[in-house]
Amino acid sequence: MIRRRADFSLSPAKTLWLLLAQALVIAPHAPRLPMWITLTSIAIAVWRYLASRWQWRAPGRVTRILLLALALAGVLASYGTVFGRDAGVALLVLALSLKLLELTQLRDVMLYLFLGYFLITTSFLYSQSMALAGYMLVVVLILTSALMVVSHPAREARIRPRLRQSASLLLQALPVALLLFLLFPRVSGPLWNLPKDAHHGITGLSDSMSPGSISQLSRSDAVAFRVDFDGEPPANAELYWRGPVLSHYNGETWSAAPPRRLRRSEFHVQPPGVHYTVTLEPHNRLWLFALDVPGSIPNDSYLTQDYQLLARQRVEQRLRYSVTSYLKHTEGARLSHYERRVALQLPAGENPLTRALAQRLRASSGNDAGLVAAVLRMFRQQPFVYTLNPPLLPTHNGADAFLFNTRRGFCEHYASAFVLIMRDAGIPARVVTGYQGGQYNPIGGYLIVRQSDAHAWTEIWLRGRGWVRVDPTAAVAPSRVEVGIEAALPNEAPGGLVFSHNSLLRHVALMWDSLNNGWNQWVLGYDNNRQTRLWSQLGLGNASWQWLASALALTVSGALIVLFGYLTLRQRGANRDRVRDAYQRFCRKLERRGLARAAQEGPLDYVRRVTRARPELAGRARRITQLYIALRYGPTPNAAQLHKLRGLIRRFRVRRVRR
Amino acid sequence: MTSLSERLSTRKLKGPESEPVRLTARRIYILPTRHGVLFALVLLVMLFGAINYNNSLGYALTFLLAALGMVTMLHTQHNLAGTVLHSQTCAPVFAGQNANFPICLDAPAGTARYAIAIDSRGFGARFTDVAAGRSAHLPLSVPATVRGRLRPGRFKVYSEFPLGLFHAWSWVEFDMSCLVYPRPDDSTLPQTLLSPDPGEALRSTSAGCEDFHGLRSYRPGDSPRQIAWKHAARSDALLTKQFVGGAGRSLWLDWEQLDGLMAEARLSRLTRWVLDCHRAGYRYGLRLPGRIVEADSGEMHKRQCLEMLALFEIGSSRRSRTTAAA
Amino acid sequence: MHPLTQAIVKQACKIIVGKEQQIRQSLACLLARGHLLIEDIPGMGKTTLAHLLARLLGLQFNRIQFTSDLLPSDIIGAAIYDRAGATFSFHPGPIFTQLLLADEINRTTPKTQSALLEAMEEHQVTTEGETRTLPEPFFVIATQNPAYHAGTFPLPESQLDRFLMRIQLGYPDRWAERVLLQGKDRRLLIDELEPCAEPAELVALQLEVEKVHASDALLDYLQSLVEHTRRNPRYNTGLSPRASLALLHSARAWAFMEGRHQIVPEDLQAVLPAVVTHRLRHDTTAADDGATIAAELLEEVPIP
Repeated sequence: MIRRRADFSLSPAKTLWLLLAQALVIAPHAPRLPMWITLTSIAIAVWRYLASRWQWRAPGRVTRILLLALALAGVLASYGTVFGRDAGVALLVLALSLKLLELTQLRDVMLYLFLGYFLITTSFLYSQSMALAGYMLVVVLILTSALMVVSHPAREARIRPRLRQSASLLLQALPVALLLFLLFPRVSGPLWNLPKDAHHGITGLSDSMSPGSISQLSRSDAVAFRVDFDGEPPANAELYWRGPVLSHYNGETWSAAPPRRLRRSEFHVQPPGVHYTVTLEPHNRLWLFALDVPGSIPNDSYLTQDYQLLARQRVEQRLRYSVTSYLKHTEGARLSHYERRVALQLPAGENPLTRALAQRLRASSGNDAGLVAAVLRMFRQQPFVYTLNPPLLPTHNGADAFLFNTRRGFCEHYASAFVLIMRDAGIPARVVTGYQGGQYNPIGGYLIVRQSDAHAWTEIWLRGRGWVRVDPTAAVAPSRVEVGIEAALPNEAPGGLVFSHNSLLRHVALMWDSLNNGWNQWVLGYDNNRQTRLWSQLGLGNASWQWLASALALTVSGALIVLFGYLTLRQRGANRDRVRDAYQRFCRKLERRGLARAAQEGPLDYVRRVTRARPELAGRARRITQLYIALRYGPTPNAAQLHKLRGLIRRFRVRRVRR
Repeated sequence: MTSLSERLSTRKLKGPESEPVRLTARRIYILPTRHGVLFALVLLVMLFGAINYNNSLGYALTFLLAALGMVTMLHTQHNLAGTVLHSQTCAPVFAGQNANFPICLDAPAGTARYAIAIDSRGFGARFTDVAAGRSAHLPLSVPATVRGRLRPGRFKVYSEFPLGLFHAWSWVEFDMSCLVYPRPDDSTLPQTLLSPDPGEALRSTSAGCEDFHGLRSYRPGDSPRQIAWKHAARSDALLTKQFVGGAGRSLWLDWEQLDGLMAEARLSRLTRWVLDCHRAGYRYGLRLPGRIVEADSGEMHKRQCLEMLALFEIGSSRRSRTTAAA
Repeated sequence: MHPLTQAIVKQACKIIVGKEQQIRQSLACLLARGHLLIEDIPGMGKTTLAHLLARLLGLQFNRIQFTSDLLPSDIIGAAIYDRAGATFSFHPGPIFTQLLLADEINRTTPKTQSALLEAMEEHQVTTEGETRTLPEPFFVIATQNPAYHAGTFPLPESQLDRFLMRIQLGYPDRWAERVLLQGKDRRLLIDELEPCAEPAELVALQLEVEKVHASDALLDYLQSLVEHTRRNPRYNTGLSPRASLALLHSARAWAFMEGRHQIVPEDLQAVLPAVVTHRLRHDTTAADDGATIAAELLEEVPIP
């Protein structure tokens, strides 16, 4: 049991525990790392374990430096750089593994474990999901217990008690951590430039559309954004979340025109507006989603000529913004020459059949509105099918093939064909992409809009009415717009469980999303804005930076004092002897009148002395002493006696003697 | 760190305390260890990272670990607070050896203690766990350099449990001492001492009333009283009982025999002789100027002789703070 | 106080005047099934006390005067060849009794001493491969002259440990001595006394004594006292666990005599001088006064 500090050595059991901690730390990174790094880590870990088992000597300094240089070169070869997020993580993982080669002192082991803590943070650069956070909490527990195991000098590693103790430590640290999280003054914006690869690999709408691009997106049930309405949400059919507006067509792909800022408002809105707050998942693009048309827009954003809401910076973090939209509006202005030209642009020589169809319909219907109705009627009456899995279209004359041949398509097919017919008929038209509808979560009281809700619809310019939204998909599959994609595609549900009709699973899924939303709002989205909002909600007004800092210091030290008190009381509670405490009160009362009990004086001797000095106290003092002896030295002390003793002692008075 | 703790320690020099000593919160000092400082640095880097990437979970982890550090501080302090220390008597040692003062640690009921160490300056610390309501012993090792009574002076009891981030310590001094015998030198018992009179052999094979030593085969001429008759009845071989120690003869180890040597050297020499005589089972007496131990043998006698040598011309109350010099 | 023990003490005090504490201690010793050692210079009434106790408790009584030429068989008994039956037959020695007074035990050789002490410890004797149990109850009251008296073989510590208590009678005070001088011969007085109890009653009392409760608080105190002797350098050797047990048993008996069902610290304090002083070796060779050792010990250890 007794061990000297000086002879530090890592027993195999302790080593194993360290290696477990390391494996758990590296595991979330492993799929992203090149294979050779993972293999190197495993190899070094195995060597470490065997070395501690068979007392192998650690490699010398030269070997270690050589290995470090090799690691650097390897990272350079794999990533092309040693800087940036990915290469940095790769280097850290290698450094952690190489540190295993020189665990010769306690300091090395400590540093190794601290490095482990640090590596956890880097995992959060890739994902901040609840699941990862929960996993990392377990890893922190294991790292902490490893810290406890190695810093304890005993050779044997007692894992289970250490795990329990570190869990208790972390639990006690939690309130303080919470205070720090809430009160630590948050700084907005990065302190230095982020590496370029900081935000990569995010799904979402793009600024172009070709057949199949939106149906591809629809297969993902990832959340695009969540919306919190003030008051009742509008009907599903009105929820057109406007995204990129695509006007340019090259025969196969629709793409957006460069954004131009809206100079003057050209529409008249009719109150009441709909007020809501969007929590947008990062998509690394500029656009923000809003219902048509936004009346008031968030800071750091602007409206373009085609009513897109754009942010000034790419959305790389989850973003919360509030918008007021007016669903009923009219446009008064006229179309500029440039805009008209853009909205009528067509590639030359493409889709002759479509052109002929457009001209035929143009001739047969009286006005623009009649033409629109005729086209929609065609979609509705002829055997057009709305499907997630349309047949492939040829690169040339795709619209012809779709309209006259396959007649099976997703929203982008219908929107694209409709706009082409309109343009061929001389009506300015464009494709609008975005999201339509969403799933209302009654548990959290908010709307979830997923990638599967991605949609493409069209807008046409009608003289005197301005841009009018026409959704040809609604003609083919009305339920898509009124209920949602899962109703429109009963047999090809895209997202899996979330769209299941099983109500229990649906409920669980909604709960889960609600939880995620809370997580996003309160944990991940907790920034300086939210912090100040929290303060104003608590009625503290605009809490200053200094105010926050002092509140933090006060509450944290308060929490620590409470913990200190708890620990002290727990210790004292274990040693407390109520009987003795009561008797000591009795002795103190006598002591104040000059009759102190000597430390080695028994209760009987004491009471004898007391009665000799103060005969008038004899009766009460004797009763107290008898009770005390029965309680402290007797075989069966009981609570009633203790109560009686305390009462007697409380009422025991010693009057001052007059001399 | 050490220098600071040393400086803090010099603040209250109260001398020995009455036992047992309860380590109250007031007498416990606490400072971060080197590892604690390193931990804080890592946390700082993590905080900057979290701010830069505006990473909420990065913040959360940093704050959780920072809170863990603070909580650990309290636990380190509480791991020490409430422990009751008392000493036990220390077995005598020879100068040049280490005296190990057994220090008894009692954990109060309800809370166990972990990795509590006693630091015997420069001798490495020794650790022990103490289960709740139980006791454990730790040796306080102090080099015994000179003979006499060794008082270990103040010693440090400390703990870095649970995470090794903080160092909590307290200084304790007990009124305890250890008897340090003179260092025995390398000489052997001189022949002159063994047989000053050739006629009187020290080892007597025939003299019969001292300690039984062993059996040897019978030689003609041995006294019949010394034959092991019981053995003879069993095995047919005649054996003679051998006894050790001359009954009427005893050795005198005398200070005056060692002229020409310094006082301490004489004591060293005498110590060696006492040990040798004891090992050989002789009956011996010790004569120092003004003091005398009558001839005798046995463990108690040896201890008495050594004690006299240890305390020769030293008042037993003299405080020889050898540790302060060491 | 317990009525029976009170009666015994009262009777005894009539014979040995002014020594109530010692009489109580010796009675407690017998109640705790321990053996008693009375140490004092000759003529202080040691033998009288032993006689007195035997008489009052109605015990069968034997006395051995120890001399330097006493042999173990003189105590235990010996197998003697019976010519008529052509067999050896065992003739029990004076030890086969209920109360044995071993007078001046330190006048005999260690060999004989140890024969007695072994019998005391085991309540049985073994001779010629045969084990014979001693009567129940069995007590030894040994008396010894102080060690510095001429012609003594002082009992080694290990043997002293077998006596539960050692008491010293001390000189009587002036008034007590006057009573002694005026009164009749003590021996005659003893013969006139009526026994207060029978051996069976004594055995019953012993069983009662064992039921006296020792609480944790009391054991804490006892252990603090014992531990103090182990760590204080003033004592050469601390008290052994056997000494702790002796303290506990004696305190039980004392508490019982006081009419209590639980031990209080005062009981421990009352028996402590008799129980520990012959087991403690004081570092300072000079002061071997038991009263001082006990007083110091009690003074230094607070009651928890």
